[in-house]
Amino acid sequence: MPYLKMDSADLPKVARKLAASGARLVLPVREGDERFYREGADPDSLDLTTIPKNSIKEFLFPKTEKILRYQYRGKDVTVEDVPPAAAGRTVIFGARPCDAASLPVVEPLWNWDYKDEFFNARRGATVVVTYACRTAPDEACFCVSVGLGPSSDQGSDVLLFPLDETVVAVRFVTAAGRELESAFAEFGKGEVAEEALEAFRKTGEASLAHRKKFDRVQGWLEAHFEDRLWEEKAFRCVGCGTCTFLCPTCHCFDIQDESCFDVGYRLKNWDACQFSLFTLHTSGHNPRDTQPKRYRQRIYHKYAIYPQKFGKILCTGCGRCVAHCPVNLSLYDVVATAQERAERGD
Amino acid sequence: MTTEAGGLEAPAAWEPKIVAFICNWCTYTGADLAGTSRMKYPPNVRVIKIPCTGRFDPLFMLKAFERGADGVLVSGCHPGDCHYTAGNYNARRKFTVWRKLLDFAGIDLDRVWFSWISAAEGGKWVETVRNFTETIRAKGPFREYGEMIDVR
Amino acid sequence: MSDRTAGIRAIAGKWLQDGTVEAVLGWEQGTYRDKTAPVLVRKAEEVDRLVFNERCTNNLMTYLKRDPVRSLNTVGIVAKGCDIKALIGLIQESQVPREKVKILAVTCPGVRNADGKRPVKCAACDVNTPVFYDEIVGEKIASNPDRAARFRDVEALEAMTPEERHRFWREQFDKCIRCYACRQACPLCICSRCIAEKNQPQWIETSAHPRGNFAWNLIRAYHLAGRCIECEACETACPADIPLMLLNRYMAKVVEQSFGYEAGKDPQTQPPLRTFKLDDDNSFIL
Repeated sequence: MPYLKMDSADLPKVARKLAASGARLVLPVREGDERFYREGADPDSLDLTTIPKNSIKEFLFPKTEKILRYQYRGKDVTVEDVPPAAAGRTVIFGARPCDAASLPVVEPLWNWDYKDEFFNARRGATVVVTYACRTAPDEACFCVSVGLGPSSDQGSDVLLFPLDETVVAVRFVTAAGRELESAFAEFGKGEVAEEALEAFRKTGEASLAHRKKFDRVQGWLEAHFEDRLWEEKAFRCVGCGTCTFLCPTCHCFDIQDESCFDVGYRLKNWDACQFSLFTLHTSGHNPRDTQPKRYRQRIYHKYAIYPQKFGKILCTGCGRCVAHCPVNLSLYDVVATAQERAERGD
Repeated sequence: MTTEAGGLEAPAAWEPKIVAFICNWCTYTGADLAGTSRMKYPPNVRVIKIPCTGRFDPLFMLKAFERGADGVLVSGCHPGDCHYTAGNYNARRKFTVWRKLLDFAGIDLDRVWFSWISAAEGGKWVETVRNFTETIRAKGPFREYGEMIDVR
Repeated sequence: MSDRTAGIRAIAGKWLQDGTVEAVLGWEQGTYRDKTAPVLVRKAEEVDRLVFNERCTNNLMTYLKRDPVRSLNTVGIVAKGCDIKALIGLIQESQVPREKVKILAVTCPGVRNADGKRPVKCAACDVNTPVFYDEIVGEKIASNPDRAARFRDVEALEAMTPEERHRFWREQFDKCIRCYACRQACPLCICSRCIAEKNQPQWIETSAHPRGNFAWNLIRAYHLAGRCIECEACETACPADIPLMLLNRYMAKVVEQSFGYEAGKDPQTQPPLRTFKLDDDNSFIL
């Protein structure tokens, strides 16, 4: 299948057209020294230079969301569902492959026994236009370790390949993606052959050749719940939860009621396994009472428990938890150590 | 009636809602004196008794604003008169810092009043409540804080 | 290897060898870019892990409140002058006995953030050569503090109208995701159970909506008034890039102007909100 060729300078114009069609537009923009995915930003501020600090999850699973409303009238209480917020059709423009790939990873979770209508409503209305990585955009990247790659199309509806500084090849991956074809078409400057893309893919993967493949981690973890590794590596964890909140696949939430006089809402708020309160029982007992145990939980959930349950690693190798950890506790280092020890039978 | 935000709804004829955190020993007794002396003052004030201004916590004020208060008054014994010797002196430092912080965050300081009213000053209580109520009435309802949750 | 690194290793080794301390907390080379990482060295043979360079930004005093450092009887801590200010605060508040901590001070020409820039605290630094310590390494460095640098951004905000400031903070606090990284990184956030985690009653709304975020960020700044030693750990840790130091520095300015007090200077003094003067400002009270 041929790929549409266009000038990268025209990408903001495509984004503008998509926004003009009434879609909620999410795109990476520069703020200070970082990039952030932001909703409703000016398409001209599109900044694809590096991987944004936040992930795209907040646009499908907001940090706080009302799920039901209750009201007391005398001794009666009425409870009403709050329908999923009408965010409407959403185009995430310029997502990275590791962010796009997080969607198929978490979909089974939100549809396991209970179907989460809030996530599903947003997911169904979201189209992802992904900007593939020519080379790894950051030292923290390790998508190849978890079976993805800098050109991975997992979760993408449209995939943009920046062949060089000025030229982008466009591939429409899904039916939802093909619906956007008209917005791109007028900027088309011919076609790109499959071979150019093959070279692109190889360059990208070569830039991550030094990263280990995490193919034996699950088995190692299953046998090393009690191990010196956890205390050794995680003593320095300050329990800030930054890793979980920036993670595209971490999805834990807490249910809170907030009321004022006779009206209240039940809210679904982001939560994190790195907090001591996360597992604190009413009795005062805390099964994960130290930070290394909480850190171990995060690794287990991503690399053992989730794969056991859903057959997928709960990590896309985006590297945010590596890059933004305030104490440089690198998830890559910890999991790579597990892999190495598995390889040498330790 | 309540709004979506859970705050009290502004009815057709809006009336200022003032929450007063006042100390048990001086201002509360002063307010009591105003009552037993049959002095009239606006019914807009909701009194919450605290043991001492030293017990006042800025969280009380935020909670009041969260629940729809248009103004908050904190009042206790004059310097030197604290039942616990120095509760009000300690409180004064907290007030200084907290008030400045509110200002820095852009909260209108006319909605946050502090006073020293003794057990003998029923008249000062009446006058303070009256002036505060009129100030708030002139400013109108305080929506910037309580309804922040729905602005988004 | 720099002289400071060598000096740190020598003293740490001696302390571990002769049993002065059970462990030494310091920095080691990290694995991401030029980052360093906190490390706890328990054996003299391992002191070669310790390093000192411009990227030793973490304030290690934050580990004094958590295990395994908390449960040690004696610990050596490698510290810059600014880090020691936090320890002074903890000693003042009886959180850490002075005799538990052996301070391995290091003179510091200034650190650099991830973006390569010198933080404000370094421009304003008055402790390039620490003054409170047990041992010190590194050549003495005279401080030439630009004290006005601390309040430059604060003053820009003060010049705005209250409405503009409210809008500014609304925008900043909207970004807050309530991860509490600011609190976790802070060496002086010492409560074993934070007010944000108390739910009977729920004083601070836990949801990351603007009102909950407003309450959390204001109360955090207030609880650090007169205590914050401006190490910038909160702002560095914030994953949402909220300029938290604006709040902290503003509080420092208020405390300096109102009570003539600066945090982190003298372990013998009382923190300003723990004491009072009979002639404190009364002008705003009716």
